[in-house]
Amino acid sequence: MNPRPVEPPRWADRLLEAFLAPHLLEDVQGDLHEVFYKRVDEVGATKARREYGWAAVQYVSPFFFKAFRRGPSPGIHESVEYVQLPFFHPDMIRNYLTVARRNLVRNKSYTTLNVFGLALSMACSILIFMMVSYHLSFDRFHANADRIYRIVTGTGAANALSSAGVYVPMGRVFRDEYTFAEKTGRVATNYGTTISIPGTRSTNKFREAIAFAEPEFLEIMSFPFVQGRPAALAEPDRVVITEAIGQKLFGDQNPVGKTIRLDNRMDVTVTGVLQNIPANTDRREEIYVSFANLKPYNDWFHEENWTGISGNMQCFVLLKPTVPVAEAEKAFTAISQKYIKDATERKNVFRLQPIADIHFNLNYDGRMDKTNLWALSLIGLLLIVTACVNFVNLATAQALKRAKEIGIRKVLGSERAQLFWQFIAETGIIAVFAMLVAVGVAYLLMPLLNQLFQIDLSIMINYQLVGFLVALTILVTLLSGSYPGLILAGFQPILALKGKLSQKHVGGFSIRRVLVVGQLAISQILIIGTIVITSQMRFSQQSDLGFNKNSVVLLPMPVQEAAKMSTLKSQFMQLPGVENVSFCMQAPASQAVNMTSVRFDNRDKDEDFLIRTKDADEAYMPTFDLKLVAGRNILHSDTTREFVINETAVKALGIKSPQEALGKILITSKGRRRGPIVGVMKDFFNNSFRGAIDPICLRANLGEYGNCAVKINLQSRRETLTSLEKIWNTSFPEFIYSYQFVDDQVAQFYALDELILKLIQFFAIIAISISCLGLFGMISFMAAQKTKEIGIRKALGAGVESIVWLFSKEFIQLTGIAVLVATPIAWWAMHRWLQDFVYKIGIEWWMFALSGTVALSIVLLTVSYQSVKAALVNPVKSLRSE
Amino acid sequence: MRRTYLGEFEEVVLLMVAILDGEGYGVTVSQALEEHTGRIVTFGTVHNTLIRLEEKGFVTSELGGGTTERGGRRKRLFRVTALGSKALQEIQQLRQELWGMIPPKIVQLSGQ
Repeated sequence: MNPRPVEPPRWADRLLEAFLAPHLLEDVQGDLHEVFYKRVDEVGATKARREYGWAAVQYVSPFFFKAFRRGPSPGIHESVEYVQLPFFHPDMIRNYLTVARRNLVRNKSYTTLNVFGLALSMACSILIFMMVSYHLSFDRFHANADRIYRIVTGTGAANALSSAGVYVPMGRVFRDEYTFAEKTGRVATNYGTTISIPGTRSTNKFREAIAFAEPEFLEIMSFPFVQGRPAALAEPDRVVITEAIGQKLFGDQNPVGKTIRLDNRMDVTVTGVLQNIPANTDRREEIYVSFANLKPYNDWFHEENWTGISGNMQCFVLLKPTVPVAEAEKAFTAISQKYIKDATERKNVFRLQPIADIHFNLNYDGRMDKTNLWALSLIGLLLIVTACVNFVNLATAQALKRAKEIGIRKVLGSERAQLFWQFIAETGIIAVFAMLVAVGVAYLLMPLLNQLFQIDLSIMINYQLVGFLVALTILVTLLSGSYPGLILAGFQPILALKGKLSQKHVGGFSIRRVLVVGQLAISQILIIGTIVITSQMRFSQQSDLGFNKNSVVLLPMPVQEAAKMSTLKSQFMQLPGVENVSFCMQAPASQAVNMTSVRFDNRDKDEDFLIRTKDADEAYMPTFDLKLVAGRNILHSDTTREFVINETAVKALGIKSPQEALGKILITSKGRRRGPIVGVMKDFFNNSFRGAIDPICLRANLGEYGNCAVKINLQSRRETLTSLEKIWNTSFPEFIYSYQFVDDQVAQFYALDELILKLIQFFAIIAISISCLGLFGMISFMAAQKTKEIGIRKALGAGVESIVWLFSKEFIQLTGIAVLVATPIAWWAMHRWLQDFVYKIGIEWWMFALSGTVALSIVLLTVSYQSVKAALVNPVKSLRSE
Repeated sequence: MRRTYLGEFEEVVLLMVAILDGEGYGVTVSQALEEHTGRIVTFGTVHNTLIRLEEKGFVTSELGGGTTERGGRRKRLFRVTALGSKALQEIQQLRQELWGMIPPKIVQLSGQ
């Protein structure tokens, strides 16, 4: 025999039992079972079960509730004097709704409290849901998104970064020599190109990111064309732009056939127009130039370049459906062996990164950490729980008022399950109301959120959201309604009718105490999170980074000719507010990173780490206030003749002291740049506090100075900035001026953290508000219950303060327990968060004490209003009736 | 007084009950439907129709024996009532008359 006999799905049978009139049930179910077993033999269990379920669903219709009369003459069958109505009978539902409505209207304050609390938390959940689904939708809209990958580099060197880019020729070789990919498309981005229209006034220019792309790139990605097709980029000197850019440059004229000038030195013709790029992709470029123009534009990107990787040179592939990723990745190893001569470069490993991972993988310039999304979702759930706790507390407290109703229903033959579901239905009404309010609130909060996040969410009614709303309403209903429903359904009818039920029959305060503690603990955790994250942010922004970031402005240098630069510098230096000017590749701390191989002295091979290069002139150290610990600064030169390295580099090279490093030869960039180490500078933070300090060398290298760093006197800041702009614009009339203070650039490191902090603060406030609502409801109820007790106490001479204490005592205890519960959880969560940081604050006891104090004061404030009010009532009034 | 109306599908189901001669219940009626008319309908529809027919008085029903494959549940066996057979006959008669009114050549009965 079969150990587990095949049976029709249980849920379907339950459904039939709930919906069918009792006298119909037996034979209908019998028929269905009979066919079911027949079908099991014919088509197998799975299909039969599905059919059974489908058939059962057909019976959910009012028709089958009734059919009491079986035929014109009753008496042919068993005569029915009283048939118990099936639970979901329309008449019963009508009755539940009526009773529910009356109850809700009778307790207006209770209803509003609940609706308001639930609506607040639901609104937050809706917003969180939309945000999370927005982020999860990134780059999933491409056709075949499951087969699109980006080739990324994980460098083999010890302290190297991984890069989202690959060698320039990698994509070409992979396409020509291997058949794994259906399509391979390279794309190289240049951020900050000046776009103009030849022959027009010089004011009509814009700074935009442009991408040099192969036609196949636009075939892989689903960026639909309004005019033209991907082949528009097959010839050199072509460009494809989005409608938005077309509008910006040419207004309402058709851009196709028009010419655009790039950086005042390259003309390209528009041969295609794309629809505007959707919000949920990280490929934000709106101008695609023929790939053939890349090398003329910047000759570093030549087709034989196997010696350097830029994160801006990326390659996308559309794998054939049957090709396993691991198989395709093997090709890269083979390509490395074949083409790369250099031992260090050969250590690079290449991987295929799924396109859906691009938005999240912080190793490859992702924008969003998935952990944050899960944390947010969890917070949303906690808020919902908090609101449901309120509901449960208030409802159980209210339950006694309904004892009579329950008693009568029971006497008339209601079953426990029916009463339970009836209460759930009432809760459902409140939940639906709350949901409607929540959608409204979410709608109003949306613009605020968009501003915070620099995104463009809108309440789009899609089936996902609707499904979420329905699921959320059901979840809230069950979470809130189950416990009070059980309590109500469990009343003993005799006691209920005699009015002899008391607090102890509704689970006393014990369950409610546990719930309140849980609620307060949730608020605690959020408060502690806020405190810790704020402290860490403050620490990272106010610590001394080892260089001057407050008074240095960075200006772009579009053209790098020695003569022009020295003119510019002398003009700048003449301004009274300018203290120093340095031409450099980047600030001491920057998200743009340049690394190269390094060989020391007379060792016979390159070190196994890459050294970060800061290419800059001799003014770099004084401009940024970098300190020397040994030797001297570099002298003026256009090419690398000597080096200054930092203390970390000294250690990494295995030199005992900075003094010993002086005079030793350093060879960087595969031997192209060499010279003695003339100085050692004190370490400064070149990364965010998440990353350790790297070995760094400072070297002269004209042609790489993309920035002009100007140290200004902050006293005359405004006038100086205006003068700088004027001078810059006369020197570079064809280009667009922009400036950025270095500390703003450093703040960019923590943009994501700032965002998370704002959110957690916001949600902490919401959680606290919801808890307060609940506490307020509870204390009001308690006060109402204890009117007589208070009256007697006062009559016997109790003072107001002792009455207030009577109420507060309990809540102080609860808050204390909540602190104890929340502390380890919060500590663990914050410890996890801080682990990402190399340089971090310690979690200290005062943080927990502070959050406990905050919570306690809020609780006492909430409680005191009601308890004082209760304590001040004249005892004559409250005792008169006896 | 209008006589009780018999819908097209109701008529077919009633015919099946007649054909099955006391052996008609949910399962057999829907099998017969499929077999004789090629119609595949959900159980809900069949039960629904049978209940309606009973309410209109065209069939009666009684609970028969249960079998193991039904989990011991009893069958509800249907029979055509006098009223039911009368209704069927009336419809049949009406059709005959109407057929007779159609001029030849318009609809050729097969086999002629």
